[in-house]
Amino acid sequence: MNRWLTGLLVFCLVGGATAARGGDLQEYLQGILGKLAPASGTRAAASPARPGTARDQLVEKLRTRLPASLQKVEQELRGVSREQEIAIGRQIAGNLLGAAPLVDDPGLQRYVNLVGRWVAEQTERADLPWHFGVLESPAVNAFAVPGGYIFITRGLYALLADEGELAGVLAHEIGHVLRRHHLKILRQGRLLDMGQDLLAKQIATSGKIQQLIGRGAEIVARSLDRKAEFDADQIAVVLAARAGYDPFSLPAVLQQIGHFAADDDRVALLFKTHPPPDARLEELDGRMGSRFDQVKGSGKTNRLYRLKPAARPR
Amino acid sequence: MKRFAIHWFVAALFMVSALAGTGTAEEGTAAAPPDARGQAVKPEAIRAEPFTDAREVGTLAKGDPVEIQARDGGWLRITSRAGNGWVRMLGIRRGEAGKARFTAEGVLGLASGRAGTGTVVATTGIRGLNEEDLQGARFAGVQVELLESYGVSRAEAREFAGQASLQARSVPYLPGERAR
Repeated sequence: MNRWLTGLLVFCLVGGATAARGGDLQEYLQGILGKLAPASGTRAAASPARPGTARDQLVEKLRTRLPASLQKVEQELRGVSREQEIAIGRQIAGNLLGAAPLVDDPGLQRYVNLVGRWVAEQTERADLPWHFGVLESPAVNAFAVPGGYIFITRGLYALLADEGELAGVLAHEIGHVLRRHHLKILRQGRLLDMGQDLLAKQIATSGKIQQLIGRGAEIVARSLDRKAEFDADQIAVVLAARAGYDPFSLPAVLQQIGHFAADDDRVALLFKTHPPPDARLEELDGRMGSRFDQVKGSGKTNRLYRLKPAARPR
Repeated sequence: MKRFAIHWFVAALFMVSALAGTGTAEEGTAAAPPDARGQAVKPEAIRAEPFTDAREVGTLAKGDPVEIQARDGGWLRITSRAGNGWVRMLGIRRGEAGKARFTAEGVLGLASGRAGTGTVVATTGIRGLNEEDLQGARFAGVQVELLESYGVSRAEAREFAGQASLQARSVPYLPGERAR
């Protein structure tokens, strides 16, 4: 009986999704449900619902309500408001800071905010309340969180040669925020697990946001697709150039990162979640062509704030 | 200019002493550090100056080893058997020919930054920030407030850029990225 009901539900879902008007969600659901549909469809067709039964009423109910609910879910996700995006980002940022706190050096944190804010100023989302932080961790990595929270680890900062390279790294992360890459992950990965009321209502309480983003700050440990990383790289080159820095600053950092042993713990997460540095450089080469061959950095970029040694070795 | 030269001299002295101190310089200071070696990933023209239309002084074949002397924007000044001059940076992979990629040898640690040569010490056993750390992380409210207290205004950022004579330029996004 349970199996039969499951079959019926799947059948209804397919019907509902088909009835829903166009959109990513519909295609996505059909992709998954299409595989389940034939068996359950046959089963349902073999025992047609008799009119007037409770079963039939259930079918009817699902048929009429499901498309509307699905549409609403999709709308909510696509049109996550600026405030919601910031609230989601703040929760993730707070969790990430629970894993690695800020380096205890206000001068450093302030400096990174000045560089990052100047780069963000060159974008179509200059009005976001951008925040930048250096995390106390020997790991070599940087993270972007929705709403404009950007982090670089002490381990990566220590590899930088000048302010342009810092700008290049921050610009890559800014690129993820501009294109809402992590919000898209939430949309694609979590959709089917999420309660609909969570999305239908305003995302308000931190408990509900936590439900949306999964465990802790695991969202920043997820791999984006290769294209998203390549796009962020090319955005970084453009933004660095717009801000007056050497557009080849990020490529220089990528060449640097390529020197790490693949089994070095400090780069484990970075290498797991990103294409290899060589692949990124090759892709950048193809996309940049000769456009930037004559573009140099301007201004004095040798004012990179010097790291002080970690107060307590971890 | 003179002061600049003195700075470089002091920096070079420091580097030499650092290399000697840690004993990682394999063949003395004459050998290029591993980071300064590279190879062509595709055929590349070697030019007399770092410009697309500068005179061609040679051609690198794919796989040709080079020694990297300096970088200027998207150009590397190199020496090679095929000639000395400038080649496009993205046509060169850093690292030693014949050696496995990602092999790192180097001097000094992280706290002092890149240590001049740009090489990175390979270290296993230092815990990075891994998935378990991130999954198990709890919201740190005080830290978020601290982070937000460091925020700067758009006006402050512009002033900061002006202090270093950084000027905003109009550069369009590249066509490679397709709208989704």
